[in-house]
Amino acid sequence: MILHLPALLAIIVMALVTYLTRISGYLLLAGRCLSPRMQAIMDIVPGCVLVAVIAPDFATGRPADILGLFATILAATRFSLLPTMLCGIITTGLLRAVLG
Amino acid sequence: MSLSGPFPRLLLTGRHDFTTGTMQTTSPPIRQGTFWPEFLRGMKTSLPLLIAFVPFGLLLGSRAVQKGFSIVEVPLLTGLNFAGGSEFAAVGLWSIPPAILLLAGVTFLINSRHILMGATLAPHLRHLPRWKIFLLLFFMCDEVWALTLADLHDRPGCRFSTGFYGGITVCLYLCWLIFTFMGGYTGNLLGDMTRYGVDMAFPAVFIMLLKGMWKGARNALPWCVSLGVAVLVYHLLPGAWYVPAGTLAGIITALLVVRGA
Repeated sequence: MILHLPALLAIIVMALVTYLTRISGYLLLAGRCLSPRMQAIMDIVPGCVLVAVIAPDFATGRPADILGLFATILAATRFSLLPTMLCGIITTGLLRAVLG
Repeated sequence: MSLSGPFPRLLLTGRHDFTTGTMQTTSPPIRQGTFWPEFLRGMKTSLPLLIAFVPFGLLLGSRAVQKGFSIVEVPLLTGLNFAGGSEFAAVGLWSIPPAILLLAGVTFLINSRHILMGATLAPHLRHLPRWKIFLLLFFMCDEVWALTLADLHDRPGCRFSTGFYGGITVCLYLCWLIFTFMGGYTGNLLGDMTRYGVDMAFPAVFIMLLKGMWKGARNALPWCVSLGVAVLVYHLLPGAWYVPAGTLAGIITALLVVRGA
C-alpha cells in the first residue's frame, strides 16, 4: 500500500487549513472600499509581513549569519536579484567556514 | 521589451529592465492578447528563485521519506499545500499514525501570514471573476505573493497581471513538486546545502523585495519595528507567533506614522 489513509487524511487537513489562510484575507476585504489613509497603511503592511517572516534569520546568534545578512542587504542596494542572492550565499558560506 | 533576448542577460539585469520597455503603458488595463508575453515575463522573473527551490525541495523530499512518508505522499503534501515552511514543520512533527490536530494547528500558525498577504493583494484582484480569484489564491505562496506585489509597485497605474502571476506560479509550483518528489525518490543528492549558505537565498529574495517596496526612510520605520518585535518574540515564545506579533507591531507603527502625514 503506497497511500495510507491516516497520512492522506493529515495531508488533506493541512491542505485545507493552508487554503483557508490564503482565501480568508481576500474574503475579509472583498467588496470594501479603502480610504486613502488605509491604502497608505496597506502599502506598508506587506513589508512588515516580509521582515517578520525572515526574523529568525536575524536571530540565529551566529556572527557569520548576521554578517552574511548585512552583506546581502549591501548587495541588494546595488544589484538585481540573482547577483544579490549569489553574493549572500557565497559570503555567508565563506563566513561560516571561517567563523564557524 | 525583448522576450527573445538572451536569457542570462535578462536574469542579471533584473526586473527593472522590464519597466523601461514597452510594458510601461499609460493605460492601466492589461490589454487582451498580452497573457502569454506576461506569462513569460513571470517565468523569467521567478527563475533566480530556483537556486533556493531546488536544494530545499530535495532536502524536504528526502527528509519526508526518512520520516515515513511514502513516495506518493511526498508530492501530495507539497502539491496540495505548496507552503514550504509548514511542510518542513509537518515533516519534522510527522509520526505514524500522524497527529492530525497538532499538524493542523502548526500549519495554521505558520501559514497565518497568508491572511495578511491575501488582504494586501485583495484590492488588486477586484476586477477578476471570483472563480479565478479562488484559483489564483490557492497558489499564493510567499514568493508568488511577494514578486507579484513588487511588480505592482514597480509599475504604478498598471493592473494586476494574471499572466505574470501565472508564469511565476507554474514555474515555482512545478519545480517544487518535481524536486520534492525527486528528493523522496533518490534521496538528497546535494547533501545539506544549508551548511554552505544556500539558506541565505530566502532572506536575499525577501530583502530584494523590500527594496522594491522602498518609499523612503519614514515609511521603513514600521518595517524596523516589525523586525525588532519579531526577533524578540521569536526568542521568547515557541512556535510561529513571531510573524503575527511582528506584523501587528509594524501595523500599529504604520497607523501612527501615516496619521502624521
